[in-house]
Amino acid sequence: MTMKFQDPEQEKPIKALQVLSLPVGLRAAVLKATVDRQDIPLPDFHEEGYTISFINFKGDVRVATGHRPGDKEQPASPGLGLISAAGKPMSFRTGASVSFAALVLFVPKGWVPHFLGANTPFRKLEQQLEEGANIITCRLGRKQLSQLSSALNVTGEKPLSLLNLQNGALALLEYFLCNRHRSLLGVSPTSDIENEDDLSLIREVESYISEYYCSDTFTVDSILKKTYTSYHRLNFLFKSIHGMTISEYIRNKRIEKSKEMIADNVKSISQIAYEIGYSSISNYILAFKKVYQITPGKYKKQIDSLA
Amino acid sequence: MSYVSLENSESFLKCFEVIAEDKSCIVSDSVLYFSGKTGKGFITAAGIDTGIEVLALNVSMLTDDLTIRFQPSTDASSYILHFDEIEIPAKGDNDLPVNNMSGVEKGHSAVSIADAGRGKTIVYPRERVIRSLIVRVRKSSLDDLIKDFDAGTIGAILDSPEGPAFLTWPITFKYRLLLNDFMTEIVQHPFRELFTIRNVSMLMEYLLQQFFVMQKLTGEGNSLSSQDTRSLSRVEQHLCSQYKKEFPGIEKLSRISAMSPTSLKTKFKRYYGETLFGYYQKNKLEHARKLLDSKIPVKVVATEIGYSNPSHFTLAFKKEYGFSPWHYLNPH
Repeated sequence: MTMKFQDPEQEKPIKALQVLSLPVGLRAAVLKATVDRQDIPLPDFHEEGYTISFINFKGDVRVATGHRPGDKEQPASPGLGLISAAGKPMSFRTGASVSFAALVLFVPKGWVPHFLGANTPFRKLEQQLEEGANIITCRLGRKQLSQLSSALNVTGEKPLSLLNLQNGALALLEYFLCNRHRSLLGVSPTSDIENEDDLSLIREVESYISEYYCSDTFTVDSILKKTYTSYHRLNFLFKSIHGMTISEYIRNKRIEKSKEMIADNVKSISQIAYEIGYSSISNYILAFKKVYQITPGKYKKQIDSLA
Repeated sequence: MSYVSLENSESFLKCFEVIAEDKSCIVSDSVLYFSGKTGKGFITAAGIDTGIEVLALNVSMLTDDLTIRFQPSTDASSYILHFDEIEIPAKGDNDLPVNNMSGVEKGHSAVSIADAGRGKTIVYPRERVIRSLIVRVRKSSLDDLIKDFDAGTIGAILDSPEGPAFLTWPITFKYRLLLNDFMTEIVQHPFRELFTIRNVSMLMEYLLQQFFVMQKLTGEGNSLSSQDTRSLSRVEQHLCSQYKKEFPGIEKLSRISAMSPTSLKTKFKRYYGETLFGYYQKNKLEHARKLLDSKIPVKVVATEIGYSNPSHFTLAFKKEYGFSPWHYLNPH
């Protein structure tokens, strides 16, 4: 099944937009094009459900919630996932010479109860959409981008290309929902961690970190090995409790310690950097700046001038 | 011995009631938990309206064999796929996998596809670590997936009256990584059904890929004896466990398999569709990719999987995936 979209002003066909039905019950549209100052309307599926698009591009692109010129626009950044309720089609306005790729998934209403229905996270997302948020976005990570580009590689000549597309689509969908789920959790951080095991795991990791964080051989990996958890799980737990990733937590701990050491005024900054486990001074200075918005040298001068 | 019998028209969910009746386990939220004397772990099922049903087993150290029996049905519209990984639990730092399997061999690690119409019995042995996914999928959905390519090939083999009751292939590191991730993450995943269907879909892709590769490789009259396949899976297991170290070398591998180096090489290729080193390398790089996914720097990953020189790692990575690890980390 192939649909063609015509731009009314320029009378130039954008590119064939393939709509494929996946065996698992989703519908997917695949778009790859190089365009120059054009609107790219995404298909309206004329059915109740949700449209989730994953886009990547090089150039300048804006997202609008409709086809008319007066519609609200948002600037888009490359590597984005967007969800909108069906019946509110999105379109993309492009600047000069943009290479644009999109995977548009249509999730029919009937699909929701089987796959996402009994889920409070999805309910929350639905609620947001009903409350008037037209488009909800999330940024794609590097893994998702590689999944996107491999999913878009539907040639029909390659064996199993449809299955490949389905896998990419499902993985991206899962990422999108989990990502939203986490940001929804961010509103009330500790609500989801009630499990005793999880809490004791976090306590264990915290005490391990406070014991070893100054060693230069200390890595997140060594924690994983010690506690037999996956990185993602540990990060998930850490984020829900501390609101930051585990590496951010470690960095903050190191920088705090270094701040105390600077205030003691016994050691030089480079000595301190090596002592708290940094292998290069510039890394340390960058990290310090990220936490306190000031370089350690300037901080030292401030302290000295006070004393 | 406990039996679970399933009519094909019945839902996988019924399994639980049958197992729960004679085992001391808890059923909650369509998950069956084992505890105490019947082993540890869980079984979970998801029935999905698009013609796919999934039964996931993650149990270890059962005190009894667990039998799951699918009764033959007259309604021949689906396939049963299963992905079993059955491990002997590790005992300390044992370098070589255990050689002698005592008693009768029951289930073993494999993937297979069978016509649901013919029924199927699976026995999961006791005192093992078992990770398994059993999937029932409609024939039409599977044929949809391989439509323009080779639709009906699997059906043609399984349907012919003198043909085999099921097709089976060895389990490879790809399945193992996926099954492992699946079992650890499913417990706390917020979108359990979607996660299940995504993983099943990927497993199906692996299976179909393997099927087409094997179709090409196995000529007529080239079948391997069961002793050979057992030796080969021992070699494969050893290769997989060595991803942090150097390639073990053909002499050592041929000792493990009790075959001559030449016959090991040819048989391995025929069974797994890869050369020994190619297989080892792919497994290694797949592990590297997983590490990169968790945002570990390239240099650290290279040393972690046993490369002394990061640029050797980069070269190997690029050769396998077509892009360098750095580009994998920074796609923009």
